[in-house]
Amino acid sequence: MKKTLAVLLATAMLFGLVACGSNGGGSSQPEEKTEQIEQTEQGKVFNIYAWNEEFKGFFEKYYTVPEGVTVNWIINPSDGGVYQEKLDEALLNQENAPADEKIDLFLAEADYIGKYVNSDYTMDVTSFGYQNADTMYDYTIKAASTDDGVCKGVSFQCCPAAVIYRKSIAKDVLGTDVPEEVQAKIDSWEKFDAVAADAKAKGYYMTASFAETFRAFSNNCTKPWVDENNNLQFDDQITAWMDQTDNYIKNGYTLTAGVWDTEKTNEMFKDGKTMCFFGPAWYYNFCMTNAQDPDNGCVGDWCIVKGPQAYFWGGTWLLAANGSDNTEMLKDIFETFTVNEDVCSKLVENENQYPNNTTVVDKYANDESYGNTSILDGQNDIKVFSELAKDIKWENHTNYDQLLNEGLQNKLQEYYKGSVDKDTAMKNFYNYVKETYANINVPE
Amino acid sequence: MKKLHQAENRKNKSISYAKWGYIFIAPFFIAYIIFTLIPQFLTIYNSFFETYRDGLTQVGPNFVGLENYKALFTPEAEGTIRILKYAANTMIMWIAGAVPQFLIAILLALFFTSTRLNIKGQGIFKTVIYMPNLIMAAAFSMLFYTLFSRVGPIQALLEQWGVIDNNFDFFSHTITVRGMIALMNFLMWFGNTTIVLMAGIMGIDQDLFEAAAIDGANSVQVFFRVTLPLLMPILVYCLITALIGGIQMYDVPQVLTNGRGEPNELSRTLVMYLNGYLRNKNYGMAGAISVIIFIITGILGGIVYKILSAQYKEGAAKHRERKGNVI
Repeated sequence: MKKTLAVLLATAMLFGLVACGSNGGGSSQPEEKTEQIEQTEQGKVFNIYAWNEEFKGFFEKYYTVPEGVTVNWIINPSDGGVYQEKLDEALLNQENAPADEKIDLFLAEADYIGKYVNSDYTMDVTSFGYQNADTMYDYTIKAASTDDGVCKGVSFQCCPAAVIYRKSIAKDVLGTDVPEEVQAKIDSWEKFDAVAADAKAKGYYMTASFAETFRAFSNNCTKPWVDENNNLQFDDQITAWMDQTDNYIKNGYTLTAGVWDTEKTNEMFKDGKTMCFFGPAWYYNFCMTNAQDPDNGCVGDWCIVKGPQAYFWGGTWLLAANGSDNTEMLKDIFETFTVNEDVCSKLVENENQYPNNTTVVDKYANDESYGNTSILDGQNDIKVFSELAKDIKWENHTNYDQLLNEGLQNKLQEYYKGSVDKDTAMKNFYNYVKETYANINVPE
Repeated sequence: MKKLHQAENRKNKSISYAKWGYIFIAPFFIAYIIFTLIPQFLTIYNSFFETYRDGLTQVGPNFVGLENYKALFTPEAEGTIRILKYAANTMIMWIAGAVPQFLIAILLALFFTSTRLNIKGQGIFKTVIYMPNLIMAAAFSMLFYTLFSRVGPIQALLEQWGVIDNNFDFFSHTITVRGMIALMNFLMWFGNTTIVLMAGIMGIDQDLFEAAAIDGANSVQVFFRVTLPLLMPILVYCLITALIGGIQMYDVPQVLTNGRGEPNELSRTLVMYLNGYLRNKNYGMAGAISVIIFIITGILGGIVYKILSAQYKEGAAKHRERKGNVI
């Protein structure tokens, strides 16, 4: 009897080992299958990985799904790298997954797109007949291309970012709310800081979050977060941001809330006391819902200007997953959101987006009658953004940007709240980096 | 010959009973081996390797011996060993929640089982105190986060009453964050402990309480001389399970502080530390931490068991002695 038991247990153990063994095998690189795929029949299930509902909304409104195809959205939050973790798991398992469970399309953000583009888990867009159009912004193509120039996806938006200011507060602080005159008063960081002091004197905040200006600095970095020997390095822009923020917190020019915190977005209500917000076109819908509140909002009290430093922020790229059996649909989706002028125009008019299509952009930028009234005072924001979009360059990005930017802000926030000193905050940040990325060397 | 045959038969019969016994317990052991024992050995095995993911590429596994453990116990420039800091955080928060948890649970269990008080509507009370345990820990700490956040109702109320000023932030003070976590753990678990302890008290022979009453013992004496010693086995069980749960404290502080363990990582627990390494599938370091948690759990569990069961044995021996004297 003991023998039977022993056999039983041994089988169980073996089963366990085999199960683990096959799992481990999943991490091998998927083979290049793109050639075959072109001939195969199209799948009936289309799986999309995303970190929020933004693109889902546009997709459902402006894209007609072919008959008989079911679209599955798998949405995981971006915060803390959760989305990347879930996506990585699914991609590593892509080869073994049944056709209907394979990822067809996934979304990626500027902060980590390189990780997926420079891997075999994404597919060359020309393999299914998609051609990048001349109307697309170069940096959006460069971001989605490997170092050898093989393009793996597209972006449906371009993300030049601006200073979005409250007109009524600007009038009080600067004596004017006309964009050109406001711009002249805040066109360098020195001037911006000086205005912050004036705003404070009148009882206003310059910005509503310690990290509000972070992107304006960090997207102008001249060196990446990590050097060629994997050493963590601080660009002058990052240190400049830290110095500015130290100053702003000390003088009460800003709040200790994070960029996404309720405490900050509450400042966009009618009775908010904050003059400037920093963001691109997607910021309107994404962060400024309080400003659009029918009772307590302040639609029309906003204008945009370039501000002290041109920059861009974020952007959502659609990447074609290697192994997809819905390549025709992929091509169709890519075309709908990049070259279809009708859809791109609707993105501008109905969704406050800045599309990745220069023809459409120019149409609105040169249209005297066009103005944004859903948030702004009727100012032609597309015109402002189109000037800023010309200068966007794609450089100095690493695969680690999202969690490094997020980690630095989180750890420094404790310092700005006064619960730790700056050295401790930095030490906590280094420890966080060590934990998150074993291969990055941090200063001792 | 016949006798021999009979004996053989009997032997077979007894063996076949044993067979059924093994078959009935086999599912548990199979599940235990597959889902607990093998992963446990794999964890220990992994802890000797450098293995993590850089983006989508797997690094390692490279055998590094005890390097992972060495890294865990290497003090930083100013002398803190981080794993000890997190272990201390975990223990402080657990004790702060467990002490009221057990005191209240014992008190409630006594009230509910007391024949003298004979509380009406016990069913409702028992359901209500058990309720917090039914809510998911994550949802419960989300609720606390919303209540105590900078824009939450508690902040507004206390500001209005002038208890705190506008700059106060519940999440940047060690005592408030740890207090919230302890409070949540207490609220979630005291009901459960009460129910288990009640079962323990109800299992005690009523004759003993009667006898104590006839001898003129007051309720304090009855509690310390009769209830507590006889409740000891259940109490030890509750304490050890609570301790194991406490060392693995994760969801409440993780959700409450959004994984940051603020302020200054003073509400960061061991398992939150472990999870930091799992972000990039660093099974080597995470494995080493798991092994250390396993060892700590073993040692603390052993200590609690030793102390309490020694007292219990002592009490039981005394009890027997006294009983002998009476006879």
